[in-house]
Amino acid sequence: MTPFDKTAPSQTEAIHFEFELRHPPEKVWRALTNPVLLSEWLLPVLNQRLEAGAEFMFQAPAQPGWDGTVNCRYLEIEKEKKLSWAWVVGEIDTVVTFTLTPTESGTKLTLVQSGFKPNQQQNFGGARYGWNMMGGKLIDLLGRIS
Amino acid sequence: MQCGAVVEDRVFRALADPSRRAIFESLSTGEAAVKELTARFSISQPAISQHLATLTEAGLVTGRREGRCVYYRVDPQGMKPLLDWVAHYRAFWTERLDRLEKLLENMDQ
Repeated sequence: MTPFDKTAPSQTEAIHFEFELRHPPEKVWRALTNPVLLSEWLLPVLNQRLEAGAEFMFQAPAQPGWDGTVNCRYLEIEKEKKLSWAWVVGEIDTVVTFTLTPTESGTKLTLVQSGFKPNQQQNFGGARYGWNMMGGKLIDLLGRIS
Repeated sequence: MQCGAVVEDRVFRALADPSRRAIFESLSTGEAAVKELTARFSISQPAISQHLATLTEAGLVTGRREGRCVYYRVDPQGMKPLLDWVAHYRAFWTERLDRLEKLLENMDQ
C-alpha cells in the first residue's frame, strides 16, 4: 500500500526500437511467430505454440550463473498487429512487445522491453504491479546521479 | 546475456516496491535523515527505517552518522547493475533485429 506514490505510468522506455522494414506485415509476422524463423533470428525456441497464455522457452547458451533459459508466456496476440510475451530470466520479469504498422513501403516495427520487476511468483497472472522502471522519471534520476 | 546475478536481483527487488522507489527518488534530490523522510512521506519511522535498510543492503543508498542522526544519500554506484542490464539488452536487441532484417531479405526465396 503506497498512498504517496503517484508516479504516472510513463510512455517512455529505455529499451525501445523502431524501424522501417521493406516487407509487408504479413511477412514480418511470420518471422516473429513461426518457430523455425524465430529460432533463426532470435534464439532457439522450445514448446512454442501461438496462443495467449501459452508458455514457451528460449534457450540461449548457458553462462556462469545462468543456464541460458528464458521463460516466456504469450500475453497479447493480435495477428499482424501486435505481439507481446513475458520474458523472465531468473528472478527478473519483463515484457517484450512488438507492434507492426503497415506503411507505404512495408512495415514499421517497434520493439519495447518494459517491466523490469522481480518475478512475483504468487502474483503471476494476477495483480502485476506494473513497474515501468524505465519510465522517464527514473531515466531523469539516472542522468542526475551518474 | 548475463542475468539473474545476486546483486542485480537485490537491486531490482529493492526498487520494485513503490514505497522504496519513492524514498530512493526523494533521496536523489539530496541527503536526508530518517526524521525528514518520515515527515515527507507520512509513514511510520520504523517503516522508513526498514525501507532504508533494504535500500542500503542493495547498495543503492549509504548512511552517514552525525551525532544522533543518520543521514542517507543515494550511492550512484548502486544503479550500475541496472544500467549494465539495460545496456546489455540494448546491445542484444540491436544485434537480433539486424538478424531479423537479414532473415526477411532471404525469406520466400
